[in-house]
Amino acid sequence: MLSIKNVTKRYDGHTAVDDLSLVVEPGGIYGLLGPNGAGKTTTIRMIMNIIQPDEGSIDIFDAPLSEKTKEKIGYLPEERGMYRKMKVLDHLVFLGEIKGIDRSTAVMRANEWLDRVELGDWRDKEVEALSKGMQQKIQFISTVLHDPQLVILDEPFSGLDPINTQILKDIIITMKNEGRTVILSTHLMDQVEKLCERICLINKGRKVLEGKLSELKLKFSKNVVSMRFSGDKKILEGYPDVEKISEFGNDLSINLKDGADPNRILSFAIEKGQVERYEIGEISLHDIFIIKVKEKGGELDEEDV
Amino acid sequence: MKKMFKVVKREYLERVKKKSFLIGTILGPLLMGGIIFAPALFMKFTPESVVKIAVIDGSGVIFDKIESALSDTLPDGTNKYELRKIETSGLELNTIKRDLNLEIESDVIDGYLVLPEDVVKESKATFFGKKLGNIKTMERFESAIDNVVISERLKREGLEYDVVGKLVKEVEIEMIQIKEGEEEAGKGFDSIFMSTMVFIMLLYMSILMWGIVVQRSVIEEKNNRVIEVMLSSLRPIDLLLGKIIGVGAVGLTQYLIWVTCALVFALYGLSLGGPVAEIAANLSPATMAYFVVYYLLGFFFYATMFAGVGAVCNTDQEAQQLQQPIVLCLVFTIIVPMMIIQNPDGMFATLLSLIPMFTPIVMFMRINILTPPAWQILLSILIMLGAIYISALISAKIFRIGILMYGKRPDMREIFKWMKRA
Repeated sequence: MLSIKNVTKRYDGHTAVDDLSLVVEPGGIYGLLGPNGAGKTTTIRMIMNIIQPDEGSIDIFDAPLSEKTKEKIGYLPEERGMYRKMKVLDHLVFLGEIKGIDRSTAVMRANEWLDRVELGDWRDKEVEALSKGMQQKIQFISTVLHDPQLVILDEPFSGLDPINTQILKDIIITMKNEGRTVILSTHLMDQVEKLCERICLINKGRKVLEGKLSELKLKFSKNVVSMRFSGDKKILEGYPDVEKISEFGNDLSINLKDGADPNRILSFAIEKGQVERYEIGEISLHDIFIIKVKEKGGELDEEDV
Repeated sequence: MKKMFKVVKREYLERVKKKSFLIGTILGPLLMGGIIFAPALFMKFTPESVVKIAVIDGSGVIFDKIESALSDTLPDGTNKYELRKIETSGLELNTIKRDLNLEIESDVIDGYLVLPEDVVKESKATFFGKKLGNIKTMERFESAIDNVVISERLKREGLEYDVVGKLVKEVEIEMIQIKEGEEEAGKGFDSIFMSTMVFIMLLYMSILMWGIVVQRSVIEEKNNRVIEVMLSSLRPIDLLLGKIIGVGAVGLTQYLIWVTCALVFALYGLSLGGPVAEIAANLSPATMAYFVVYYLLGFFFYATMFAGVGAVCNTDQEAQQLQQPIVLCLVFTIIVPMMIIQNPDGMFATLLSLIPMFTPIVMFMRINILTPPAWQILLSILIMLGAIYISALISAKIFRIGILMYGKRPDMREIFKWMKRA
């Protein structure tokens, strides 16, 4: 579906995307994750050929992007923009037409979608009369109006209230079930944890991690246990299986060495003190990200994550 | 191509549907015609009033004759010039003048004329008045005195004024323009110049206005970020051309409306005769065709440049700075008509009409005044087409990169870099 090979993009003074490679298979929801400024939007703009990479190549539907393949893609940019003076329906139909569908189809689908997101009464209003949330829904419709096989959404939830966020999530899941491929770029990792099958984590233009979300979680959670332990932490630190211990208030988060059995440290801890809570960690994407970034010696601005 | 036309359609419909389009279409020619014809009309329709003049006739023989010479009447039949003879018997001239000055101050009279004793010999007289500005009145007044004094002199020499008048009658030369080998009946140079000026002002106004509309629309699209959606659907060049052609078509619509009205007016006006027919005679279908052609050429040339300016700017204010050299080129072309009109076939005019920046307006003007050789007209069109192509090419490159640049405006060096890279 999409393959990015060794792509680099430099702006004067800094490298926005640095030797990035990734492959998106057809079907499912693919998460492109990372903090603000990680290079997600730059990557997507390069996929859409809005900007050109300095190095590397991008294939989409097994070939470089052409005018014809643009018609198979729906793109919701991070920067939202519409023709403010146009009527809602005209706007949607126009964007549909430049994606190659004919006028009558565009009108029909636009009306269907407007009803579906409960904006049917607004079709003859000028865009600028709509609230920001409504405009965002209109823009989302324009992204999918031409029935694209690949949908690329850059920060689709920003600025949406919880209800509309849920509506949008439902639509994304429906699209996946219809066999479309969705690429979802966001810095809100917990938002997509339940949506994405595969993810790619990037930071400072570089790929930190890529793979199937469930496998990644399994892999990382196997080595992490969290424990509320009243006793001397130093005793645990000395235990051979332990890689590292971090403290979060009363809780300890313990990284185990590869191949260590989580049960062994539990029985050791019980011998040495009181264990009030013990969990073979369900690890969040956020934690995985921090672990991986720190592993690579990168710095991280916590606010961004 | 198909997508480009969707953009054309959108740009066109969104603008033609606006009220401002209708207003501009109606007001444009009225405004331009007004600016050019207003002074003349104003002169014509300024209500005339009685001019009261006191005359101190030192010679004692001229007053009556002047009075009978100035027998003009106002539309209501009363005399326009009301003359009053001032008796000088025994009074100092300065005393009389002091009194008359007071009368002028209190608007009892408009002025007074002092004719010295030897006026017939010396041809010198003095007029005192508050308003010396009304040229028409003053000229009439002067010529009346002239005639009286001259005829008085002739009489003293034993000659008859009427006889001499017939003998020294000037030859009147009627000016008739030959256009495309044909005599153009009844076309005074004034009317050609005036109507040409109206068309030139319209050309200037619409090229500038629609060019800036293109620039604005690029900036607007950049600012409301709709551009990224557009670029995910079509090529930048489609967007650029779509915009320019769309806006150009709006202007063209306006032109076709004007031209149709002008031709209908011409058809009707010719039968009316008089000055109306004179103006109508200038509105030939050929002139109208050139009018449309040079609008299109001028618009596309300037609009591509304005689009380039729009692409590198983030606000209209920024653009105003950068567009200045372009606007100045246009302004220059409406300043030069005065120079061209003196010698429309000269080196200067010919050269100017073949430089793309100036061609649309200058060539159109020359065509109206003297019909330059066909090869020059053809050459000017070819040069314009070439210039549009180059301008569009450069503009497209700047556009391609500029439309996604936000923040600091690039300097000229960077822009040149883009042109090479894209």
